Amino acid sequence: MIESKRRRRVIGNIATYFVLATLSMFCIGPMIWMFLTSLKYEADIVTQTMQYIPRRVTFDNYVAIWTQSGFPRLIANSLVVTFLTVTICVATGTLAAYAFSRFAFRGRTQLMLGYLVVRMFPAVMMIIPLYVVMRSVGLVDSRFGLALAYTSFLLPLFVWMLKGFFDSAPRELESAARIDGSTRLGAMVRIVMPLARNGLVASSVFIAIAAWNEFLFALMLTTGQGSRTWPVGLQLMVGEFQLPWGVLAAGGILSILPVIVLFAIVQRTMVQGLTAGAIKG
Amino acid sequence: MATLSIKDVRKSYGSVQVLHGVDIELEDGGFLVLLGPSGCGKSTLLNMIAGLDDTSGGDILIGGRSVVDLAPKDRNIAMVFQSYALYPTMSVERNIGFGLEMRGVGADQRKRAVDDAARLLQISHLLDRRPANLSGGQRQRVAMGRAIVRDPELFLFDEPLSNLDAKLRVEMRTEIKRLHERLGTSIVYVTHDQIEAMTLATKVAVMRGGYIQQFADPRTIYERPANVFVASFIGSPAMNFLPGRLVSDANGVRFAASGVSVALQAGKRPVDSERPVILGIRPEELKAAGRDEASVTGVIDVVEPTGPETMVTVQVGEQSIIARLPPRFAGRRNEPIFLAVDPASVNLFDPGSEQRIDI
Repeated sequence: MIESKRRRRVIGNIATYFVLATLSMFCIGPMIWMFLTSLKYEADIVTQTMQYIPRRVTFDNYVAIWTQSGFPRLIANSLVVTFLTVTICVATGTLAAYAFSRFAFRGRTQLMLGYLVVRMFPAVMMIIPLYVVMRSVGLVDSRFGLALAYTSFLLPLFVWMLKGFFDSAPRELESAARIDGSTRLGAMVRIVMPLARNGLVASSVFIAIAAWNEFLFALMLTTGQGSRTWPVGLQLMVGEFQLPWGVLAAGGILSILPVIVLFAIVQRTMVQGLTAGAIKG
Repeated sequence: MATLSIKDVRKSYGSVQVLHGVDIELEDGGFLVLLGPSGCGKSTLLNMIAGLDDTSGGDILIGGRSVVDLAPKDRNIAMVFQSYALYPTMSVERNIGFGLEMRGVGADQRKRAVDDAARLLQISHLLDRRPANLSGGQRQRVAMGRAIVRDPELFLFDEPLSNLDAKLRVEMRTEIKRLHERLGTSIVYVTHDQIEAMTLATKVAVMRGGYIQQFADPRTIYERPANVFVASFIGSPAMNFLPGRLVSDANGVRFAASGVSVALQAGKRPVDSERPVILGIRPEELKAAGRDEASVTGVIDVVEPTGPETMVTVQVGEQSIIARLPPRFAGRRNEPIFLAVDPASVNLFDPGSEQRIDI
């Protein structure tokens, strides 16, 4: 009786691990494959028999993409656009989220719902009117223009996420701070923001990753080297008659490095932020 | 120290009026308790004094200065919240000193003020801790430290003891009273606990439905309640109410009902004989007596000895009343009981308006 119970548990565990391992492989596999490809010679990539582990290792692909394709420029553009997007979102979104969380004003619910509705439209639908607007104000092919475009669909998300964190900070704390001598804004900055810090980090990272990886808007709104971001640049390297697999893979690896570094730095704070309120603290 | 004047203060949310023209005057160094059931508007009134809520009409003066247009920080008040509202990211020392920090007081002076307040509240050993590492009673003391360190004109307390356990509550109640006597600062204190109101206040405002039902000193509120609501809200067990009528004859005026005949001290005004009234008697004003001196005759229903006294539920005609009798009361269920009443201690109310009647 006990024996069979134990056996059933062991079988259950094996099944669980099998499913988890399969899913993990499914997620991580392409990245590993990309990494391995980036270390191969071009001749070893397209071969008769599949070569999993490279027989010869080379860093030529990395050198090539860094020196010959303007890739540093693409990365720099992406960094600038991401930084601008996050800055605009944090500066305006924090105030907006605080207002939504704390003030009862006419149209508050409708406005919040409107924010959600904006996200229900497919990006393709927004992109043409956005292009027209951007062109008429001269912001096509500019990094600031692209950041503004990203803000248009990332800010609502940011506000929604942050509002939740603000909601969970007790109002009495601000009342106490206001009586203690703070202004409303001062109470928000000194008392509420430190409490919602984890949430702010989590929301900002979310925005940063979305802006970093965005492709469609960048493709439409950038035309020259001056403002092109890495996803677009990488895609444009795919030529009609040739596919530089090794170089593309190296570009892919380089472009996810900043994200990995960012995650490594903030992951603890971010996990705390995302699970805030999940268990009694 | 300052006086507080609340003049015809009103508050509405949209079309819902939650405070209907409240008038209160508190003397310098007084202790005002706003008492009432939840939803009576007492916390709203406190928030308006603090400036956390806007008034919809009327005026509030602290120390003779109108404050309705001032921000909370400019009203020179301090507040202790029900949840204590300690800043979780700051040490106890910084929590207490935050108000001074905001007002640009230098670090040395701040340290001295915080130390003094901490010594007064016996929390000097806790100054380095975070609020999360304190017990409920300690948090309460820190919250009070934060209030007294600024030496404000007026303290506001919003149900400060309701999150504490029963024993600590009594301790902190004494502490607050001691603090008030020592500092002499005027206090406005919101509670739904009538014992807190009775023990602490120099003035009590009993509120219901956004109206002040009675505003007086605690003794008057207890002994001469303005209406049936106040009479039943204050006192535990609550006042006994017996419906009956007034009888005026050669022997004077008395209250009569089935099993009850209480001689009343009549004033000079003529009394309508046969006028229906409600008689209110506090449980402790009923005394076990002999048959001939009895004003109330009934049958014992329940006997509950509590130690220092015995609560006896008595069936009088159709009504049930409670008498607070001495600890060694010997009566048993279904035995007849005779109770005497001091005529000076009874209250009469009009059955229609439920307002107090003085004859």
